[in-house]
Amino acid sequence: MHNVWLIARREYVERIRTRGFLVTTVMIPLIMFGFIYGSAFVNSKSDSSVHIAVVSSDTQLALDLQSELQLRHGTPRANQTLFTVDAMDIGPDTRSILDQELDSGDLDGYLWITPAATPATSQPTRPTFTFTPSSSEQDYLRGTLASALGTVLMREQLAHRGIVASEANAMLQPVEIHAAHAPHRQDHESAVVSVTILFFLMYMVIMLYGMNVARSIIEEKTSRIFEILLATIRPQELMAGKILGVGSVGLTQVGIWLSAALLLSASSVTANLGGQGIHLSLTAAQIVFFFIYFTLGYAFYSSIAAALGAMTNSEQELQQLNLFLVLPLIACFVTLKSVLTNPDSTMARVLALIPPFTPLLMYLRVSLGHPSHLAIIASIALTSASIYAIVWVSSRIYRVGVLMYGKRPTLPELLRWLKYS
Amino acid sequence: MSIVQLQNIRKVYDTKVAVEDLSFTIEPGTMFGLLGPNGSGKTSSIRMMIGITVPDSGSVSLFDRPFTRSVLGRVGYLPEERGLYKKMNVLDQLTFLGQLHGLTASVASRRASLWCERLDIVEAIPKKTEDLSKGMQQKIQFIAALLHDPDLILMDEPFSGLDPVNAFLLMSTLVDLCSIGKAVIFSTHRMDQVEKFCNSIALIHRGHLILSGSMREIKSGYPRNRVLIYYEGDDAFLQHPSIEGLTRYNGHAEIRLRPSATLADDAQSLLAQAIRHARVTRFEVMEPTLEEIFIEKVQQTSPAKNGSKLSMAELDQPNGGGRDA
Repeated sequence: MHNVWLIARREYVERIRTRGFLVTTVMIPLIMFGFIYGSAFVNSKSDSSVHIAVVSSDTQLALDLQSELQLRHGTPRANQTLFTVDAMDIGPDTRSILDQELDSGDLDGYLWITPAATPATSQPTRPTFTFTPSSSEQDYLRGTLASALGTVLMREQLAHRGIVASEANAMLQPVEIHAAHAPHRQDHESAVVSVTILFFLMYMVIMLYGMNVARSIIEEKTSRIFEILLATIRPQELMAGKILGVGSVGLTQVGIWLSAALLLSASSVTANLGGQGIHLSLTAAQIVFFFIYFTLGYAFYSSIAAALGAMTNSEQELQQLNLFLVLPLIACFVTLKSVLTNPDSTMARVLALIPPFTPLLMYLRVSLGHPSHLAIIASIALTSASIYAIVWVSSRIYRVGVLMYGKRPTLPELLRWLKYS
Repeated sequence: MSIVQLQNIRKVYDTKVAVEDLSFTIEPGTMFGLLGPNGSGKTSSIRMMIGITVPDSGSVSLFDRPFTRSVLGRVGYLPEERGLYKKMNVLDQLTFLGQLHGLTASVASRRASLWCERLDIVEAIPKKTEDLSKGMQQKIQFIAALLHDPDLILMDEPFSGLDPVNAFLLMSTLVDLCSIGKAVIFSTHRMDQVEKFCNSIALIHRGHLILSGSMREIKSGYPRNRVLIYYEGDDAFLQHPSIEGLTRYNGHAEIRLRPSATLADDAQSLLAQAIRHARVTRFEVMEPTLEEIFIEKVQQTSPAKNGSKLSMAELDQPNGGGRDA
């Protein structure tokens, strides 16, 4: 036990001291926040102004539409499009000029109004409207244009029937629906966001530090320090120490991130930075279960990584094998969305009990769904049992593998290693 | 009491027999040379002595008891492939390795400093291992094997890649340790080193022990039929009838005398003949060298290999960096 402690402590101290640790500890949250707020910022600013042309022989209609679009959408509000509208008459080469302007990017699109053929009949027929956007991205403008045109035409009809303009305006006042959240739902939404962030964190750290275990074994293999270590301690102790040491570094890092995040979200400055009133909200239970499932997941995947590291001689060889490590993690990722939306579905319940998926998926269920106590206990028990089995297999592969240099073992050889005592 | 006792150990890797029926005993205060060409099973034998691998059959006893891991604290091991943590600084590294051998951190770091002084590498102490020269790294490795004051010291090719000055420094350190009752085993394919320092040897070839015992006994089993002569002038004396075979070099010759009951007289008569023709600057009568004994033994055990052409140069490269399986 003393040896395990020595190995783990060396691993921990040497890793914490590296510049790499400092850099990832600082940079990863920065990148994460930068990404989240950066995309929010870009969303709020993008497409804020649109320049279109309205071509019509009916100048009044064009002008009405111009004022409707510019006035109604003129007041800058969040996520509201600001319109600049040119009204113009039909000339001989209008279309070609407009097409040129579309190409040069001066114009986002133009609306061509073809008057109805026979305006003399009792039933007034509407003109034909054709909108040519500069690209399919601007196609969404059609909806806005249609509603604006509807209003303009309606006002025209009302004026025809002798209704005063101010009254018409009042009648045509657009209905506004205010957004409101039920207090409980808002908490839930915050929880979903927070838990998702933790899910990503767990995923990332397990993958990162699992690979670190494999890499550090390969490093010791190539530097041949194994011979010295194995001349004093057992391979099992070495492997245990390594997994514990590297894992503690991961826990330290996650711990730093979590406490920083909780401190930040507690302070009022950042509580509403998200703009949607969503903040990091975690209950104590969610944090406790995070560490429980993180530890289980890390132990599970890092023991596999230890065996992979012992079987290979270089990082390149490890790259070929790390599919075993990455695939189950990616599988969790794929199911993330459906488990998030319905954490108590049959699929979620079953998947969360399969050991490779348990750490990540059961954590989601515990945090957002309502798993039974039995399910929680069963998930922990099953995962622990399979960790035990994996450690048993890995330590045998490890014991023989660390002294094997040269070619990679074949499957029959691996099976023989398991029997070898 | 014996420090190491191997009895009929055997180790097979997949298809290759690494060690076959190997037995020997090492007493305290012995400088023991484990000799053999590359791939002969030296490293495999050493690994089995300290439980890194387990023999398929046969038994290993250390300090008069069947092997258990608990005695590893009394064993110091310098592996053939040097292994140190590249990024760790020297003092931390030595302290860590000392702790693994059961020392407390303070004792380990104090001893590490003392050893660095003794081996003249004080300036290396605060540096990272990867910043050191190869020779310095080897000294660090050497210290790591000795830090915990082991009673059994295993050195696998300890001097490969070292310059003569440092090789001598390490060798004399080992001789000192031996003289205070430690048992030192070192494996090498350099026969000249063994001849100089070891008082007991085991020669292995393709996993088999072909010769073992104390250096004096082994040598006394062979007649003094080798003559080394340095001369200037006419070399007609090399036609002398008592000469069985010779190798001629520029200005000197190595001569093997014909077996006879009067070897000493034959040598004198050869010398008299030589003086008549040439100016002799050096003349030495001696036993065959360990190298010659080894070659002879190998030829005896595998006669199929085309007889007299076999030489050490074929068995291995004296300074080669190759390694054992």
